[in-house]
Amino acid sequence: MVTARSLLSELKARGVSHVVGLADNSSAALLSLLGNDDSVSFIAVTREGEAFALASGLWIGGKTAVVVVQNTGLLESGDGLRGTAQRMRIPLVCFITYRGYKGKPFRLAKTERGPWTIEDFSRADLDSAALVTEPTLKAWNVPFDFLESDADLAKVARAFSRAERESRPVALLITGDMI
Amino acid sequence: MTRDQLLQPLAELRGRSVVVTCMSITRPWGAYSSSELDFASADSAMGHTADFALGIALAQPQRKVICLNGDGSMLMTLGTLATVTAAGAANLVLFVIQNDTYEITGNQEIPAGGRIDFPMLARGAGFRRVFFFEDPDAYREALPEVLSGDGPVFVAVRVERGSEGPISRSAKERSQYLRVSLARSAHDLRKALAK
Repeated sequence: MVTARSLLSELKARGVSHVVGLADNSSAALLSLLGNDDSVSFIAVTREGEAFALASGLWIGGKTAVVVVQNTGLLESGDGLRGTAQRMRIPLVCFITYRGYKGKPFRLAKTERGPWTIEDFSRADLDSAALVTEPTLKAWNVPFDFLESDADLAKVARAFSRAERESRPVALLITGDMI
Repeated sequence: MTRDQLLQPLAELRGRSVVVTCMSITRPWGAYSSSELDFASADSAMGHTADFALGIALAQPQRKVICLNGDGSMLMTLGTLATVTAAGAANLVLFVIQNDTYEITGNQEIPAGGRIDFPMLARGAGFRRVFFFEDPDAYREALPEVLSGDGPVFVAVRVERGSEGPISRSAKERSQYLRVSLARSAHDLRKALAK
């Protein structure tokens, strides 16, 4: 698991001034820490699409922002991501909590199967948000990697480097609840 | 009120404020201003102009940020009204230009056009300074007060319908900020704000 304290330290090391997002169970521990931290501001949005527009504006104004949303929120964000951070070529690292990833049927199906079928989307034991998360990022040409535990946190620095170097949004998928 | 009656006084008073325009007001504003601090959010994301402007305002608290949003665009992201007041951007002035239509796609009626009360929505979301204008003389007289003091400020302005077509972002556009890509505009504005 990723620990919120370690991730926050990593964000501070990258010079992050603002976290923009909407709370979910997976990110709750991080947002709780931010509530007691004066060095990184948390900006709460009402819908996740706002987060990408707001973070883009923060970057234009000279700040370093990251987005923290659930994968359901990523799906809601569609045109917010496309029309701001992506089309404006904003170097923006987005942390996306991966609802449904931990489900055993999903992980088995993910490794053994090809494209999802329409029957998969109505299966009670599969979270359909998980089914479309990676295909959506691929379709939008947003590079992504996985944060499964603190051992993966070196990927944060790499994501920032790539976002800056290529002037684009880069996603990090957090596969479990942060503690 | 005509769009000229809305924009001319604003162009005279905006100083070194950032002005973010949206959809059908983009071209008319370009006729009054070619400032490096103008940004056209036209052809961008659906309804995400006010939240984008909020980001600039939070990053540049010493500078006024004026957002000229459309009523159709504001309806797409009404929650942004709450995001703005929660974030407490004292330097943001959010205009909603009410013509009751999606002008840029041919003046189709917006939902509840003519009935929706934007000032009431803004007050309900926590805006303390809320203005509504339909008379051009009253607007011109009050504008210095609107643009001064702490915000966030919400301004609803009833403006006559126009007939602006889609924004092309090409050499065919007369306004400089519509002759370059959205990415170029974004990166140029960042440089201008860093000076």
